[in-house]
Amino acid sequence: MSLKQRTAELSNFQFSLLLALPVLVFLVLVVAYPLGYALWMSVHEISFFGGYKATFVGAENYADVIDDRKFKKSLWITVRFTLESVALAMVIGLLIALVLNRRMRFAGLVRTIVILPWCISLYGTGIIFSYLAKGQTGIGTAIAYALGIEEAVNVVNRQWVIEVLAVGNAWNMAPLVAFFLLANLKTIPSRLYDLAAIDRMSRVGTFLNVTLPPLRFTLFVFTCITTVLSMKLFDFIFVLSGGGPGTSSSTLTYRIYKESFKDLDLGYGAAMSFMLLALILGTTLLLYAFWGRREARSI
Amino acid sequence: MKLRATAIAITGALVLMTGAALADSGLEAQSGETVFFRGWQYKTDIVQDNVDRYNAEQGGNVDYATVTGDYPAIMEQNLMAGAELDVLYANPSQAGRYFDGGWIMPADALPNIDAIKADMYPNILDAWTYKGNLLGLSYFVSTRGVMHVNLKKYYELGYSDADFPANWDALYDQLYEMREKGLDQPFLPHWINEWYGISWAFDFEVMNRGGEVAHPDTHEPLLTTDADGAAYRTLEDWKRIWNDGLVPEEVLTYNESSYIDAYASGRYVFSPQQLYDLETFNREDRSQIAGHASLLPYQGQSWGLLDSAVYLMTSRERGDGHTDDVKRFASWYGYQDQTGNVFVGNRWMQESMLFSGYKSVMESEAAAERMKSALARAEDIQAVLGVYAATPYPKGIWSVVWAEEFNSWLKETLQEFLQDDGDIVETIEAINEEIADLNKKYGL
Repeated sequence: MSLKQRTAELSNFQFSLLLALPVLVFLVLVVAYPLGYALWMSVHEISFFGGYKATFVGAENYADVIDDRKFKKSLWITVRFTLESVALAMVIGLLIALVLNRRMRFAGLVRTIVILPWCISLYGTGIIFSYLAKGQTGIGTAIAYALGIEEAVNVVNRQWVIEVLAVGNAWNMAPLVAFFLLANLKTIPSRLYDLAAIDRMSRVGTFLNVTLPPLRFTLFVFTCITTVLSMKLFDFIFVLSGGGPGTSSSTLTYRIYKESFKDLDLGYGAAMSFMLLALILGTTLLLYAFWGRREARSI
Repeated sequence: MKLRATAIAITGALVLMTGAALADSGLEAQSGETVFFRGWQYKTDIVQDNVDRYNAEQGGNVDYATVTGDYPAIMEQNLMAGAELDVLYANPSQAGRYFDGGWIMPADALPNIDAIKADMYPNILDAWTYKGNLLGLSYFVSTRGVMHVNLKKYYELGYSDADFPANWDALYDQLYEMREKGLDQPFLPHWINEWYGISWAFDFEVMNRGGEVAHPDTHEPLLTTDADGAAYRTLEDWKRIWNDGLVPEEVLTYNESSYIDAYASGRYVFSPQQLYDLETFNREDRSQIAGHASLLPYQGQSWGLLDSAVYLMTSRERGDGHTDDVKRFASWYGYQDQTGNVFVGNRWMQESMLFSGYKSVMESEAAAERMKSALARAEDIQAVLGVYAATPYPKGIWSVVWAEEFNSWLKETLQEFLQDDGDIVETIEAINEEIADLNKKYGL
């Protein structure tokens, strides 16, 4: 066998690796430097006043973060916000996909309108929901006034602010989920529905046995994506609630911002960032272990 | 013919002399480099117009843009990174920190600094001086937290000017009287969700009641936990009116414009607001209490605190010629233009009734006329000047490197105090402890 022939016989994996190599090198350069620098900061106490100083403190920042009452509170807020956001985004996304999958007039126009929320920046979404939810300008107050109740209805309060944030976040993410699920739905052969009808399956039975199975892997992937996006969300929260009232909506990203950029405690903020990274990785690994692996096997 | 020739010669000479005088003002840009000017969002069209005038008349190349979001934090990152930033707005509480970071060039570097200082009011000069350096030039000076009163609603409730509360205790008592008269929420407190919101409300109420949060020179914590202390009484009253529902809960979520809109709606009787916003509240196109927006006069107790902003020059790496252009622009914009007029300062007075740190602006006829036209009643001008003259400045917590860190911590702490029905003594002790920790952190 000649050398030329052997070179031509790259395996699929080798060939794909070859194609991806420039991107991988670029990513390593772009991601590795800031990640390494952040790691270095997390084991230092950095001061900018009276001359720049970086003092090695080992794992002290990490230990302080674990003991920090505010960190624990922000952790819980992040978990609550993520759970609500993901559940809403997936359910709303699935419902939209099912509706869009039906025959309808002006389907193209409807799809264009449905995707619009996803096209709006999170900053813009924050402003929109801020107006909608606050008592002074909100939809609740408008309805209350229409009913003759002269009292402002403010839901950006301690009890409901996380739910308001979750609804806004889901409003932004659900269209993307819907369009990927819709693409999946379009691949289901119509004869399967005919067979289900012959078998006299109920609507729920048809949904569970015909519609849902091909969607499960996409649902898993988007559960992971929306989980990661929700955990690292910042701009929307900053604009809508500013972490408040008080610290009611101070998620981990907001807490990191405050520590790093308001208090200029970059080492502590970096240590907290790695805690968030661990949380994100841990959650996605758990999702994979308990759900993704099973779905991957069934493909 | 001879007369005409003489007239032309004289005119020509005058033009040349004027031209020479303008050139001699030393404010013309010379390096051709861009001067980056950044500020927060307030009447940006006027600022752009001022900058355009400088660029047109002095050959400047000033690039003006606004910064949205968390202004102090964003500017701090820009300064730290040595970003393209030459002149910026700042509050004195931020300016001291920027100076300690080595990111700004004090105004003392300007060639006409002696004239500038001579034109400044001594208390303002003192407020803006940090470690012996005048940090910046006057943008505006105001009293934030001056107690606005909606006269229409006040009179409807059966009160007259003679009933105006003289201090915070009397004000809170009157709120309860108003509730008995049927007005459930007569007060809109300064507990807004801006970085200067609830924390400044605490700072000024403590000072108005005769207390000090920290020592002006040593920055040691000074709050006491005794029941007669200014901090204790402040928190006690806050807790009382919050728990009794005398204030709207959503004020904790307001930004500045929501806060102004809420008071302009006419729903409230009292609200500690910005002094210059009397002009806003008395404008028919902006407010439903136009012609009825007044203020509580000074009756032995101050109201609010001295709020101000300065134009700072950065010390980023630049060529000497470029730095000279930065100084020229800062001097033109922050003090006098090429004709000797405090152009920008006077314009702000006319546009928005923004007070200035300069005597030449504040003591002019035009300023007096402007103030009269912005107020609901002729006698209010005395009230404005009386309150302004008595306004305290929190040097102990603002002229210090940790000012913004403390402010941000205090904001969260006070919001939690209200929402968690916190313990007064524990909160005061926590405030003192935080100040002590910050002093330790920065070796003070």
